[in-house]
Amino acid sequence: MSTGPGLESLVDQTISVITNDGRNIVGVLKGFDQATNIILDESHERVYSTKEGVQQLVLGLYIIRGDNISVVGELDEELDSALDLSNLRAHPLKPVIH
Amino acid sequence: MLPLSLLKTAQGHPMVRTFTFPRMPLHMLVELKNGETYNGHLVNCDTWMNIHLREVICTSKDGDRFWRMPECYIRGNTIKYLRVPDEVIDKVQEETKSRADRKPPGVGRGRGRAREDGPGGRQPKGAGRGLDDSARTTSGGRGRGGSGGKNTGGRGSGRGRG
Repeated sequence: MSTGPGLESLVDQTISVITNDGRNIVGVLKGFDQATNIILDESHERVYSTKEGVQQLVLGLYIIRGDNISVVGELDEELDSALDLSNLRAHPLKPVIH
Repeated sequence: MLPLSLLKTAQGHPMVRTFTFPRMPLHMLVELKNGETYNGHLVNCDTWMNIHLREVICTSKDGDRFWRMPECYIRGNTIKYLRVPDEVIDKVQEETKSRADRKPPGVGRGRGRAREDGPGGRQPKGAGRGLDDSARTTSGGRGRGGSGGKNTGGRGSGRGRG
């Protein structure tokens, strides 16, 4: 469970990141800095579409620049593993408009 | 672990040992905010995430055009993300561990010790700001110890800022 402000409490936990270009990347938070640049290990992207189930693309070790991050969220792994992603349909997110 | 130290580690270990290529230069992928991607060997990076790559293949946003270039320099703030080989993260951990072994924390020389003799380090000659009355003399000098031998105007006593 996350406590307090900042991302410190999420280190070494699985997180879900939504980027400004509308992607959803899930991975283990290994580090971050003042600019919200983050290190994601064992990361994968979840590609949502209305036509087929969620595709998971393996990305590996990523450094995401803070400029490009909209949301960082803790992932409830128990809840997440109960999801049937292959039967999940959703509209892809639109990119953030500045 | 800081994202930039991970990047720095990737730079410090330019050779990645793989089974088939024992000394293969570290290849990384950089995607820019405009969607272009750059694949190349990391030569150098700095604290702004500016990146110098060699042997680069640039791919257009839609992935249908490619350019090869011997090297390129990418301004940090145009980067969206970097994809780094997985083994780099283990190298950072090794490195921070060995650094911790070498130098126990808190033994470094403190900064600004010389400051303890009070504020007003650089008073203009003659018209001192009078923060340290006991040390003020007719010469008005630069801080302490101005009572004698100050007329050479050099350094020596005082706060070391001739």
